Amino acid sequence: MTMTKNGFAVELRAATRTYSVGRRAVTALAGVDLTAAAAEFVAVMGPSGSGKSTLLHCAAGLDRLTSGEVVIDGVRLAGLSQRRLTVLRRDRVGFVFQAFNLLPALTAAQNVALPRLLARRRVVPAEVTAALDEVGLADRAGHRPAELSGGEQQRVAIARALFTRPAVLFADEPTGALDAASGREVLALLRAAVNRRARTVVMVTHDPFAAAHADRVVWLGDGRIVDALSGPAGTREIAMRTAALEETSSLGEARR
Amino acid sequence: MRLAWQTVRHRRAAFAGTFVAIAAGVALVSGAGSLAASSRPQAPDRYDASTVAVHSPSVGQDEYGNPEYRSWTTPEAVRIASGLRAVPGVRAAVADPVFYVQRIAAGRPAGDAEASLRDGHSWPAAALGGYRLTAGRPPVRRGEVVAGDPACQGAEPCHGGASPGDLVVPGETVRVLTADGPQTWTVTGTADGPGWYVPADDALRRSSGVRVIGLLVDGDPAAVAQSVRRVVGDRGTVLAGSDRGALEPDAVSRVRWLGAQLLIAMVSLSVFVTVFVVAATCGLGAAQRRRETGLLRAVGATPGQVRRTMVAETLVVGAAAGLTGVPAGALAAPLLAGPLVRAGLEPAGFTVTAQPVAWAAAYILGVVVALAGAVVAAWRSSRVPPLEALRETAAERRAMTPARWLAGVLGAVGGTVLLALLPRVPLTQRTTAGTGAAMLLIGAAALLAPVLIGPLVRAVTWPVRRSATALLVREGTRTAARRTAATAAPALLAVAFTVLLTGMVATIEGVEGTDRAADIPAALVLAPDGAPGLAAAAVRGQPGRSALPTRVLVGHGGATEGLDAAGVDGPDRGAVLTPATAARLGLRRGDDVRLWWADGTAARVPVRAVTRDAPAGLCLPRALVREHDPVALTPVVLLDGAPVPATGARTMSARAYVQIDIDAEGRLVRLFLWVLLGLTAGYAVLAVANTMAMSTAGRRAEFRTLRLAGAAAGQAKLVAVAEALLAVVAGTLLGAVVAAVALTGVRDAVAAELQRAVPLVVPWGAASLVALVCAVAATLASVTPRLVRAETAGSGR
Repeated sequence: MTMTKNGFAVELRAATRTYSVGRRAVTALAGVDLTAAAAEFVAVMGPSGSGKSTLLHCAAGLDRLTSGEVVIDGVRLAGLSQRRLTVLRRDRVGFVFQAFNLLPALTAAQNVALPRLLARRRVVPAEVTAALDEVGLADRAGHRPAELSGGEQQRVAIARALFTRPAVLFADEPTGALDAASGREVLALLRAAVNRRARTVVMVTHDPFAAAHADRVVWLGDGRIVDALSGPAGTREIAMRTAALEETSSLGEARR
Repeated sequence: MRLAWQTVRHRRAAFAGTFVAIAAGVALVSGAGSLAASSRPQAPDRYDASTVAVHSPSVGQDEYGNPEYRSWTTPEAVRIASGLRAVPGVRAAVADPVFYVQRIAAGRPAGDAEASLRDGHSWPAAALGGYRLTAGRPPVRRGEVVAGDPACQGAEPCHGGASPGDLVVPGETVRVLTADGPQTWTVTGTADGPGWYVPADDALRRSSGVRVIGLLVDGDPAAVAQSVRRVVGDRGTVLAGSDRGALEPDAVSRVRWLGAQLLIAMVSLSVFVTVFVVAATCGLGAAQRRRETGLLRAVGATPGQVRRTMVAETLVVGAAAGLTGVPAGALAAPLLAGPLVRAGLEPAGFTVTAQPVAWAAAYILGVVVALAGAVVAAWRSSRVPPLEALRETAAERRAMTPARWLAGVLGAVGGTVLLALLPRVPLTQRTTAGTGAAMLLIGAAALLAPVLIGPLVRAVTWPVRRSATALLVREGTRTAARRTAATAAPALLAVAFTVLLTGMVATIEGVEGTDRAADIPAALVLAPDGAPGLAAAAVRGQPGRSALPTRVLVGHGGATEGLDAAGVDGPDRGAVLTPATAARLGLRRGDDVRLWWADGTAARVPVRAVTRDAPAGLCLPRALVREHDPVALTPVVLLDGAPVPATGARTMSARAYVQIDIDAEGRLVRLFLWVLLGLTAGYAVLAVANTMAMSTAGRRAEFRTLRLAGAAAGQAKLVAVAEALLAVVAGTLLGAVVAAVALTGVRDAVAAELQRAVPLVVPWGAASLVALVCAVAATLASVTPRLVRAETAGSGR
């Protein structure tokens, strides 16, 4: 494990990922450089097929790069064994997916405690309750996922992701399957994690409203970063940039 | 572990199949184990008062692994017994000669023919069972007898003694059949034990030597046994305590042995099938839970943790199933004792006792089997990448793994090659090789089912290809080849086994009768009628040939071995050997055969001839056999003239005579067959139902989509049922074809062995029954989960 401490929670350098589909090679990422500093909220946007999901998977160590480098909390992912990668994910990375975030057999509290249980660390019930309280679900601790609404499930997932105090929290379309009100709650929780707990969040989304909660927005297109916006931006501005990018890309398509 | 427990509780339906399979397997093993462990050799009741006994020496083992004994000659037995009376603690030492007596009622031998071989005793031996006179006086002269009590107590049912309602009273005479022939005896008294008791010298004259000396002892039997052992030395084996089981008659031990074979077959089959069902269930469950596993991996579970969790889940289920299965089997075992005795698989008086060791073994076996079934699925699960959690659709993974392809193709090739090579296999091993080939082909068909199912389904649904339901069913079945194969495989195995096993038995049985009758040169035979064999008087003066079977011990080199010999009429007092026997014993014409007769007498008999024409391996003069084996009975006389009527004998065709044996054998074979097929079918039903229930429950979303797309509730249900039936039909067809191919191969092998045409008997009835049972199970299982869901639909979101 090589440590390169430089203040970034996560760094991607010249990240390239190609897949072979049949005999064709498909390039999902073509040399992306992206960093997220500690206590930064980065949103990754882009049309479907732009490579944003691949970016997230590679950044989180769920998928491997073809070339380039990923460093999470100072640890290079390249060359880590499956086991060490798993331990790294468990200890320094949190996940929130679009759907199916919780194990159906476990209660909300057990789901929150799961990463610690898997790490064979002691779980203090009061800490679990506190974590659930933070997402406003202290009273649902004993409920199973099937008894919770979609928004509630997502809040449990956030509580679980934050419970291990990860260096970075990856969220993949966390509001994609939720109604507007629930989505707002989830985004507020992510924002609060950055503001109050100084966590780093990298979120993939196609929703300008969601991206407006981030400190910085980057746009991907055809596996490259095609635009970026630093500092808090409004939903309208993000939406306009997105629309402009899609226009050029479709023009590009047409010209080809 | 906690996760495992909670998952099991949460996904009860998914584990139901594993639970039932293991519980059924454990119940079977614990029940069969209780029965087997309860079936210990036991000294007959008539030795109840004799806590120490001496058996004549064993000279080795016979071809079935049972001890081969040499009898004491009468003088030898008398000498040893009188020597033992001087041992402190020995109150009495009684030589126990045994011979054949059967009462004649209404001109025919009455009672259990087999048991009557051991019904004649000497009067002093009655004391060994603690039997006493209930009326009259002991027998003194030859021709006098004490009749056993017909209503004798104890578990052993009474035979030999007068039948109830036909009581004998002291002073009366009674007609009995003995090895010599019918005799009239005077009843001097009655006793409270079973059997017939004649004076000691008469009994010794009638029996073939003596094998047991029973002792009545005072004080500690073990201590007395020690001193007895010093006196007896190598002249016999001293038996006390549990060793007395060795006193059990061979015939009774053979019955136990038969029962044990059935129990062993049941246990091995159910262990094998339980592993199969558990493995299939775990595999299917793991496939259905790929997303969940991926999520676990994403939040930080190592592959080892995933593996351990999966194994722990099955362990929890196995442990709970064992707790259900063990008592179920233990409670069912005593209920089976009666039927087993009636079927001739356990001796009369068999009772089941508590067998904690068997229970514990069954429990442990259940857990081990569960683990064995779970290991492969757990290993595959642990390789699920964390990304799997993000896949929206649980698209069907490749149905065929490389290992499955390899095993399936190897099995198919191996089976085909073996079938093709069958004509070159040595004759004696052809049927075995044929069966082996059949097993390989059946296994290969089950493994390759996912590949074979697609084309088969297309063929079967060809006539109805235009209806919407047919389209859905057909495409669903073909794309989800693995699921379909999981349903089809148990049906395939059950149908194939049924066709193969019953077909083989029926085919072989069909030719066996004519085959064996062909060995008998005479058209008519004189056979026993109600008796275990023909008495000397019945054979004497009959026109025709017969042989008097006896067992002798033959010494060659430094070894002694038991040999079945035949007493035949001959001009001189020498032995005639077949070349094979002569070669084995290292004897040539002019040598002496060193042998011990059944009565323990040592003798040297010169070899008069070595010829292929000898009717048995070792032929000895009939008069000598009769002299040294007074209890020998003739099994059959091959007639070449009109028979003389005799008690306990009847004339019949050679074919009918052979058929008696075949029927007796066939009855047992069929019993074994049906028990094993019943088990196979039962597990197949379990597997089919389980697969259907699990996969239907896992396809809710798919059916919801179907409903939204405009399918009526009935139509959705129809699709599910049709899919299930299609899978069973496909499995049945595959199984029947594979088994029929293998059966034809076996038939050809048998035909070559017998050198004549053998008609193929295909058991369509049994096969259809098994297929029907599978179909019903599949239909019920595919409908039930949805019915349950309809009730709970309101409580969901």
